[in-house]
Amino acid sequence: MDKQFAIQFAGSFAAVALLVALAAWAKIAKPMSPLSEARARALFADEFPGRALDALWVTNDGRGALARSGASALVLCEVGDGYAARHIPWAQAVAASFRDGVLKLDLADVSAPRARLAFDSWPPAGAA
Amino acid sequence: MDPLKAQFDPVTLAIPFFVLTIILEIALTRFKAVKSHYETKDTMTSLGMGLGSNVAGVLTGGAAVAATVWVWQHRVFDIPMTAIWAWVAIFFLEDLTYYWFHRLSHERRFWWAAHVNHHSSQHYNLSTALRQTWTGGLAGTWALWLPLAFLGFPPAMLAIQKGISLVYQFWIHTEAIGRMPKWFEAVFNTPSHHRVHHARNPRYLDSNYAGILIIWDRLFGTFQPELDEETPRYGIVKNLSSFNILRVAFHEWAGIAKDLAGSRSLREAAGYLFGPPGWSPDGSRDTSATLKAQWAADQAKPNSPDVAA
Repeated sequence: MDKQFAIQFAGSFAAVALLVALAAWAKIAKPMSPLSEARARALFADEFPGRALDALWVTNDGRGALARSGASALVLCEVGDGYAARHIPWAQAVAASFRDGVLKLDLADVSAPRARLAFDSWPPAGAA
Repeated sequence: MDPLKAQFDPVTLAIPFFVLTIILEIALTRFKAVKSHYETKDTMTSLGMGLGSNVAGVLTGGAAVAATVWVWQHRVFDIPMTAIWAWVAIFFLEDLTYYWFHRLSHERRFWWAAHVNHHSSQHYNLSTALRQTWTGGLAGTWALWLPLAFLGFPPAMLAIQKGISLVYQFWIHTEAIGRMPKWFEAVFNTPSHHRVHHARNPRYLDSNYAGILIIWDRLFGTFQPELDEETPRYGIVKNLSSFNILRVAFHEWAGIAKDLAGSRSLREAAGYLFGPPGWSPDGSRDTSATLKAQWAADQAKPNSPDVAA
């Protein structure tokens, strides 16, 4: 890499830092409020069109939700001011580690490896 | 003019314009003059990807340049860089090449792996435009431009026109601009057309591949107008669960490697590599085509609820 590139890179790095700081200062992310059941249902409908929800649990902190749809568990997690969703086998969700009020799900996906959902208890009564 | 080395790089020259317009978009949004959103971590990831793509370009661009020069040295015609007709011709031919490059980058997983990072933001603002690939050089899509060098367009001319196209495509990554005049929307790629391209709504998937001219989508049947009744939802079909820049840059490559490791035949391996994104041997995963078909089927049902209450 030559000197000209190094100077250009340093300038660009400084510009990136400035822009990120400006974006943080502006506070113009999408407004996020804790998920309600209705909002969770709407998000699941967008993520998994046509899938009926047999049961739905919204996390204590409102930052995620889990739904049962037949033999699948549909998982929704907050990411910044958006969400990521995946589905895993229901039996896997029921058997997942639950400790100190946090359900840890292995989503087996490189782009979303794990989900952590805050619940009072897990699994729900009669879930299996 | 040196046919081998571009006298200027449009992208480098445009960097101050990129910075100033992002500042403007943030400021106008902050003071509620336009509608847009910036999330800090998302912005950092987008701009970090842009910065990293510069470095990646330096590291992997040499092969592309060498191949272009070699092909041009075996050209069919001598096309002068000083002729206006040559610039008009390369404007259209480069843009047509870009259309097919972009379509390939969406419809075949190997090249999608290099392009997916550009679509991985759930935001659509000017910083998203800079969320550029780190692995495009390795994916080899630059080879699609070699026929233009073989025709006789000098490498410097190709580099300049590719840069102009990239700079043009910056300003269309915004929600701050609604629709351009009708004549402009008919011919050129616009914020409205490109919002559709970045949307993950099934109806909008795999459409509007244009670089500068939207005419190619109209010609090849991939044009989809933005509809008032369907607001674009941005991102990818399966959004990422973090802002980790390495995950953004390489997640689809890692997914391919994992699938290849589990392949049971050459056919399966080829499907995972060159099938459409989401292809699987048993059809258990979603592709754009299956999502669109499912959406169309749902639309055809009278009063179909998406989700049972």
